[in-house]
Amino acid sequence: MTLDPRPSTLSHIAVRSITKRFPGVTALQDVSLSVARGELHAICGENGAGKSTLMKILAGVITEYDGELQIAGRSVRFAGTRDAAAAGVSIIHQELNLVGSLSVAANIFLGREVRRAGWLLDDRGMEQATAELFAQLETDIRPSRLVRELRVGDQQLVEIAKALSLRSDILIMDEPTSALTDQEADRLFRVIGRLRQQGVTILYISHKMDEIFRLADRITVLRDGSLVRTLDREQTSRREITHLMVGREIESVRLEDGRCPGDALLDVEDLSLPWPGHARRWRLENVSFQLRRGEVLGIAGLMGAGRTELLECLFGAASPPPQGRILLDGRPVAFTHPAEAKAAGMAMVSEDRKRLGLFSRMTVRENITLCTLRDALRGGLIQDSRERRLARESVEQLSIRTAGTEAAITSLSGGNQQKCIIARWLRTQPRVLLLDDPTRGIDVGAKAELYTIIDALCRRGMGIIVTSSELPELVTLCDRILVLCEGRVTGELARGEFSEQRIMEFATQREVHASAGAAS
Amino acid sequence: MSEFFRKHRNELGLAVAVLVVVAITATLSETYHSAAGRAETARIIFREAAMLGIFALGAAVVIIAGGIDLSAGSIIAFSGTIFFGLLITLAPDDPGTRWASDANLHFPQTDELALWIPAVALLITLAIAFLVGSFHTWLITVIELPPFVATLASLVGLRSLARLLIQDITVLQYGQRQSTITINDELLTSVSRESWWVSCVLWLVLSGALWVLLSKTIVGRHLYAMGGNEEAARLSGIRTDRLKWLAYCLSSMTAALAGVLYACYIGTTSPATDGMGYELNAIAAAVVGGCSLTGGIGTVAGVILGTLFLRVIIDSVAKLFRSQPDLFEGLVVGMLVVLAVAVNQLRSTGGVRKPYFPGLLGLLNVAIISVLAGVMTSVTSSEAKLRNGLLVAGGTLVILGARAIAERVKGRGSRV
Repeated sequence: MTLDPRPSTLSHIAVRSITKRFPGVTALQDVSLSVARGELHAICGENGAGKSTLMKILAGVITEYDGELQIAGRSVRFAGTRDAAAAGVSIIHQELNLVGSLSVAANIFLGREVRRAGWLLDDRGMEQATAELFAQLETDIRPSRLVRELRVGDQQLVEIAKALSLRSDILIMDEPTSALTDQEADRLFRVIGRLRQQGVTILYISHKMDEIFRLADRITVLRDGSLVRTLDREQTSRREITHLMVGREIESVRLEDGRCPGDALLDVEDLSLPWPGHARRWRLENVSFQLRRGEVLGIAGLMGAGRTELLECLFGAASPPPQGRILLDGRPVAFTHPAEAKAAGMAMVSEDRKRLGLFSRMTVRENITLCTLRDALRGGLIQDSRERRLARESVEQLSIRTAGTEAAITSLSGGNQQKCIIARWLRTQPRVLLLDDPTRGIDVGAKAELYTIIDALCRRGMGIIVTSSELPELVTLCDRILVLCEGRVTGELARGEFSEQRIMEFATQREVHASAGAAS
Repeated sequence: MSEFFRKHRNELGLAVAVLVVVAITATLSETYHSAAGRAETARIIFREAAMLGIFALGAAVVIIAGGIDLSAGSIIAFSGTIFFGLLITLAPDDPGTRWASDANLHFPQTDELALWIPAVALLITLAIAFLVGSFHTWLITVIELPPFVATLASLVGLRSLARLLIQDITVLQYGQRQSTITINDELLTSVSRESWWVSCVLWLVLSGALWVLLSKTIVGRHLYAMGGNEEAARLSGIRTDRLKWLAYCLSSMTAALAGVLYACYIGTTSPATDGMGYELNAIAAAVVGGCSLTGGIGTVAGVILGTLFLRVIIDSVAKLFRSQPDLFEGLVVGMLVVLAVAVNQLRSTGGVRKPYFPGLLGLLNVAIISVLAGVMTSVTSSEAKLRNGLLVAGGTLVILGARAIAERVKGRGSRV
């Protein structure tokens, strides 16, 4: 467990005391790190630990920060991604940064198009070069296809090919396998092996321990924006890394004890959601499950597996409308608008907080009371004092940290913003609460608080469905986990049968085994 | 108290701006030096502001809801035509007159209309405007056209339709094609003289109603929410399509009401020119009043003050430029709209510390603004046009150039 402070003359990347603050949250706190040339350095940490922020600084996406960055011994300060690319740094983003309406080849050469005669685009040349890149990745995506027609996994391969095409000597991979099947991931690992032979330095972000221990030379753990420790792979263990990532406070949260789910609340039978014009034809296909009172049901699956779509179907927010039957308290329902779902006692906290949940121009109060303004009415008009009281009530109930109910919602940290949105829905007193990746981009402390809130709600008899991109989270929270793969239910696990490995097996299963689906 | 100032900074700033403009005009123009002149000026400003203000409120509701309505100007022309067309259709024949083409038929008598006639005509006109708004909503929510395109179609289409309709109506009522209709009824045309307060009262009532709607009701809060984040609003169980219906109908119906008032004020409706370009005045009033074109932001008080500011400026130009003030109107209004919105924008983003003239675009704009300042000085001076223009252009160039250089020096300093 010795720290290996290699002399800085050898280090390819040196990060010195970098601090980055966003309004309401410190994303990185005095982080220092050095990476040797040709090393594969893994960065681990929970969501919100600061991994992506650090990588964005290295790649020139974030340009405002305190501290110093050195590449190959020279101090640099990138003014943008072009500067970073010129310095030999390229990044494979976790969030796909592709233009759906352009072809695969056009995406790969976006911003540095191959030209003929000075001005004209050389489409043929770009497509050929793209095909060669894909050959390296052992995949056969047609370079002329439009990116939006591709599976999410293939889109991720396009991102990877794009980064490879830059021939950078520093390559940042931010969860490159999050949407890949095992096979595709194996191919990627072979490519990584070849790149390392060529002396490329790789920073690899993941929270999949298998990958990290298979690939990395050294591992750095971040937690809550601070660097916890950098370790040699040979001298550490999965357990130790997990322990460092999570910290002690989460482990003390024991949630499931003594929960006893009641009778059926929500029955979903053969739910299918068509996907017009797509090769897969169905976003969701014959999904059936049951949610009981006082139960937390987890939905696991890779990106593009249909988690969000499933919740949207239940909430009447899907278009086109789904086929199949949904029974709420034994009565068939077919919501065509979220307003109907809300009236029937459903609530949904969406995945993309900024885009789908937050009213960034409004105050904390307005964000909390939006769905239940009726309670603040007096003589048909909203009464300010009443509305404030209701908002204050929620702020106290969920211990939302804010300067007051009149503070701008954007002045709050991500976790507290999320609590405001949850408060908005709790005020409607729902029977079923749908939480779509509720802890995305939230720091560890707030996460633990959310877990406690979810647990308390479920104990009061609410039926809760949670999706998450982090398996440990589902394992902590849920009574049962349903695994989706490409729109189909490939497995269902009860507490006691949970393990990250089993969930991943189901989630990457491309052929549906009916027996496996019904096994539990 | 400071909370009050912070929250209403925009409105207070505008109120001060209105007073400043009035004070400047009052000292420089002799129309303000007599009591009669002052009363006349106030009356003109309020009457014009009221008519603009009525449909600016409608435009503002749509902008707050996150949309845009470009059709106001042609709805003014269209509704004026419909209203006057209905009046002459419903009016009794005047036996003292004869058609040129057919001596058995008479012209309609519009000198003294029974009260029910304008009342019915007004209701039908507003109902038609409701239909226009509903059509816009359908195009936007069901066919999923961008609001800009849907209402742009009305902007060009409705005026044309009004010009065609007026020909057919006049053929039926006068026996000959005309492109205008004139009404002589004293009650209606008195809006232009002794009853100028009618528009003001309507403006006030409408403002009050919309203030309650926007800031005190659930519907109002939902409008702001939709304007701020439409998808989040839908996922919060808000029926966004119905809100849009309300917003676009409010916009077209207020424009129709303004159209009726304009027609009565002039006494003649002429769809080829009525309300030409007024949609932009309404949008300008809303934006100067603090509405954000990206939606979700704006207040009724702000829109009222924005409207007043615009009319006060136009009045000031009319009084201070002795020859051909109408030629300067666009220039001054355009400049002030940019200025007002820019001040608002800079306050919320980087403020004064942000570099204004970065890169090649910045340098080019130092030159553009200098030339613009010179040309404007030159066209407004009555003598020594060239010398004045060059002086001002040179002065501006020196000041802005110094700023551009300072920014570059400072920028280099902070990078190292």
